[in-house]
Amino acid sequence: MEEVKGRLQDNTAIITLTGRIDSSNAAQVEEEIFKLLSDGEVGSLCIDMQGLEFISSSGLRILLKLRKIYGDYRLTDVGPEIYEVLHMTGFTELMTVEKAYRRISVDGCEVVGEGANGTVYRIDGDNVVKVYKDANALDEIQKERELARLALVLGIPTAISYDVVRVGDSYGSVFELLDARSFSKILADHPEKMDWCVEEYVDLLKKIHRTVVPAGKLPDMRRVAISWAEYMQDYLPEEPGRKLLQLVRAVPKSNHMLHGDYHTKNLELTGDEVLLIDMDTLATGHPVFELASMFNAFVGFGEYDNGQTKRFLGFDRPVAFEFWRKSLAAYLGTEDEDRIRAVEDKARIVGYTRLIRRSIRRGGLEDAERKAEIELWKSELLELLDEVDDLTFLPNEIRVEATRKNLAPVMQFLCAHLEQAGCSMKSQTELELAVEEIFINIANYAYGTGTGEADIHIEIEGDPKQAVITLRDQGMPYNPLEKEDPDITLSAEERDIGGLGIFLTRKTMDEVHYEYRDGSNILTMKKKI
Amino acid sequence: MNITKKAEDKKLTIGVDGRLDTMTAPELDEELKASLGGVEELVMDFSDLEYISSAGLRVLLSAQKTMNTQGEMTVTGVNDVIMEIFEVTGFSDILTIK
Repeated sequence: MEEVKGRLQDNTAIITLTGRIDSSNAAQVEEEIFKLLSDGEVGSLCIDMQGLEFISSSGLRILLKLRKIYGDYRLTDVGPEIYEVLHMTGFTELMTVEKAYRRISVDGCEVVGEGANGTVYRIDGDNVVKVYKDANALDEIQKERELARLALVLGIPTAISYDVVRVGDSYGSVFELLDARSFSKILADHPEKMDWCVEEYVDLLKKIHRTVVPAGKLPDMRRVAISWAEYMQDYLPEEPGRKLLQLVRAVPKSNHMLHGDYHTKNLELTGDEVLLIDMDTLATGHPVFELASMFNAFVGFGEYDNGQTKRFLGFDRPVAFEFWRKSLAAYLGTEDEDRIRAVEDKARIVGYTRLIRRSIRRGGLEDAERKAEIELWKSELLELLDEVDDLTFLPNEIRVEATRKNLAPVMQFLCAHLEQAGCSMKSQTELELAVEEIFINIANYAYGTGTGEADIHIEIEGDPKQAVITLRDQGMPYNPLEKEDPDITLSAEERDIGGLGIFLTRKTMDEVHYEYRDGSNILTMKKKI
Repeated sequence: MNITKKAEDKKLTIGVDGRLDTMTAPELDEELKASLGGVEELVMDFSDLEYISSAGLRVLLSAQKTMNTQGEMTVTGVNDVIMEIFEVTGFSDILTIK
């Protein structure tokens, strides 16, 4: 027995088909469908096939007639047998056919996590399901899965849901149950693991920021931040408001990945692997935008209501502050307190902008407590806008294609750091010589006739200061330090032209060493500056 | 890098300013190869040279070898930092530095 029902949601007509459609009732079904569709202003069409058991060719002809009128419409919740028919007859290419999702129940299942947009249940020994609060979460779920897949393909370790299911009227994402602990939990239970956590956290952060994202795959964080700054124009005095907008606009565009919500609850340790979760905020942009959201999570968010930090992260505010500062120092590769503070201030400008806007949009100005919180953030922001003239900073690592023409940006990067650190002229020249030599070696030989990348990383540490520079490539294993020294006592006629650069490098650096690890040639040089 | 040339009879003065590195050394090399015919006295004026890497040293060595067969070469205006590089590499013994 067939049944045809219809309803109109916004501009979309949703027709529900149940039972069997064959030559005995097709004419009647068709009549009922067209009668339903004539009742309202129909923009687009969606046919829910959840209860459909069978469709014959006379039923398929109805679908074709509808296509002539409505173009590419959607068939949803299509069961496996019906899908097979649609696939064989080529209908899956004519219209959008969405397969039915497996239905599961979470009755009596243990709740293992609760977040802003859903609840996580353990469904059996090996799997958990995240059930979304929003009944229309399907788009969001699919978007998050796509982002996670993109990140994984680009080399970022993350957990990907392997199935989407229906749970009652909601949707859920199914994940393999990992024996994992979040970094928040590790810090809460084992404060002595702080330094280890900082190291792992910063390693992964740098890996994310090194990752180049193909154009158009992720939202541009700079544009988002510009929209925040525009929003703030109504809430800031004219002059600081204008400066805020100008500062954000001046941040250069970047196609490098940002996580967007990089705090310790979104990092999980499973075995000895660190996984990143919550990928729905992935974007591209300058790292100052990432540092802004990190500052918010660890410091800014709980600045007025200090209890927020513990409620949100699971550990106390002083721990959060220490973690933030240590991570920032490690990320910037410096122990110079002034430099760390300068970058922190840039991050705070974007951070407060975001916090204020978020709170105002959620009615924060109508509540006395939250208004006081907004006022606190605002006074901090105004003070910073008075002092800061640039939101960008020098990253301490760059990745370039290993070609000779990229010697210029590599040298620029090196010199900018050495000048900032107050390096002597002599040491700077010697470091330039050494880096040029090693980089050109990589460009000429590491990848044979192919191409590849080179990473250059610099840290300024200790007192007296020394520069620690690391060059890395994924080319053929090769230790340049094994090259024999030229005999520098020979006359011009007798001297060979090779080997001079490496010789100079070894002579002028305080330390040079080479290792081949995890598929990379890693050359590290140290020199007092 | 910028190269200036001044020729008087069999004497050639070549001024090099800026950076003599992997990217710019080939240009100097070509310039020298094209200009050294018949030259008996070559002066390399490094007064405005800021930086020299091994690629630049190789060009100097090759010029020195050429001049050894047809005359003499001197290097002038060398700053402290570059002098240090000449010393470390033994170039201070090969070159005539004034």
